[in-house]
Amino acid sequence: MAKAKNPSKNYQQLSAELAAIIDWFEGDQVNLDEAVVKYEQAMVLIVELENYLKTAENKVRKISARFK
Amino acid sequence: MVGDIIFTPTDFVAVFNQTIEYAYPSVIIEGELANFKVNRGRWVYFDIKDEVASVAFFGSVFQLPGPLEDGLKLRVLGHPRLHPRFGFSVNFDSIAPIGEGSIKKAADLLRVKLEGEGLFAPERKRLLPSLPARIGLITAEKSAACADFIKILNGQWGGIEILLADVLVQGQGAPEQLVAALNYFEQLSPLPDVLVITRGGGSADDLAAFNDERVVRAIAGSRTPTLVAIGHEVDISLAELAADVRASTPTNAAQIVAPDRVHIITQLKNEGRALENSVIGLFENELSHKRDIKKSLRGAIESLLATEREALKSNRRLSILFDPRAALRRGYALVSKGQKYIKSVKQVSGGDKLKIQLSDGTIGAIVRDK
Repeated sequence: MAKAKNPSKNYQQLSAELAAIIDWFEGDQVNLDEAVVKYEQAMVLIVELENYLKTAENKVRKISARFK
Repeated sequence: MVGDIIFTPTDFVAVFNQTIEYAYPSVIIEGELANFKVNRGRWVYFDIKDEVASVAFFGSVFQLPGPLEDGLKLRVLGHPRLHPRFGFSVNFDSIAPIGEGSIKKAADLLRVKLEGEGLFAPERKRLLPSLPARIGLITAEKSAACADFIKILNGQWGGIEILLADVLVQGQGAPEQLVAALNYFEQLSPLPDVLVITRGGGSADDLAAFNDERVVRAIAGSRTPTLVAIGHEVDISLAELAADVRASTPTNAAQIVAPDRVHIITQLKNEGRALENSVIGLFENELSHKRDIKKSLRGAIESLLATEREALKSNRRLSILFDPRAALRRGYALVSKGQKYIKSVKQVSGGDKLKIQLSDGTIGAIVRDK
């Protein structure tokens, strides 16, 4: 099973990388060797994105300014 | 005795103001608007009256909740002052229409005015970001609306920073606080990705702040895209009309502002499966291509072999045809003299010794006649 290894990247960056791989697969320049490598990368990204979605929590910060 | 004190007018004004300020630092007066006028586009004068009495008010246009006209029922907050030259008036701090009829009338007046300025035009509407990282939330912290929004947002998505501006969302001071909070977010750097202004439902009176001109203009003028969500089912407030996006309730606002993570997880799984199928498909194509090549190579070799076999067969036939032994079997003979075969009578002379080879042996012979 692929393991997450990009903790420094945010959701949007990871998501954009996955979208680029999917676009590559939908293109007509696909070759088998590269496809295997890209597939592996995509699986890693999917695991990371899922982990993010399952674990990320929102933070509420109350603004100290008083609105008078 | 107090009655014995003789004041100068200046002293009396000072003592009166001091006394009234101590006794009534601020007053709220409700009644009907009369003699409303704006001087030099800046100063506002009007009276609030009932069947018996009338009180004069004074203030600036910047404190108005929107366009007003005589006959509206208003609740005015202000501080009473005795002016040294112009006499008694209440300097107003805030004005709010009261009663459903007046609230609606005031909102209609404002709607016409702001519509004329294009504040509600669809072409002004901006899209909200699909994945906000920072949300400016303007609401009453202790309200159910606030709790609902945060709870539903937590279910929807994670990793968002919610900057909560705790404000009054109804009653005296609510418009000013809403505007102050909007202005606060305006000067943040970086700006939040989206501003959510929300509260639960309520009576027309409760929701009056969302029909206040200052609030509506602050929402329309926000550099950050805005989402206004007020839980109610009656008239849409002007704040909602001015917002980029409107939601029906705080819960609905949370659903609009962030995608549903459960849905996205399902989508990711589907994408993973689709990629897997792509790779499997690629392998299958490659295999099938290889099979095709194998098949066509085999076909080419077989056809080559068949041609060769045909050629061999015909060569064999020819070789049989050209085999001298076959001719011998048919009765022909090979005549030789020494090592040479005789093909012509000119090659022999009388007395030559010849060999006559037949199919089953050789006969020696001598040439008699030549």
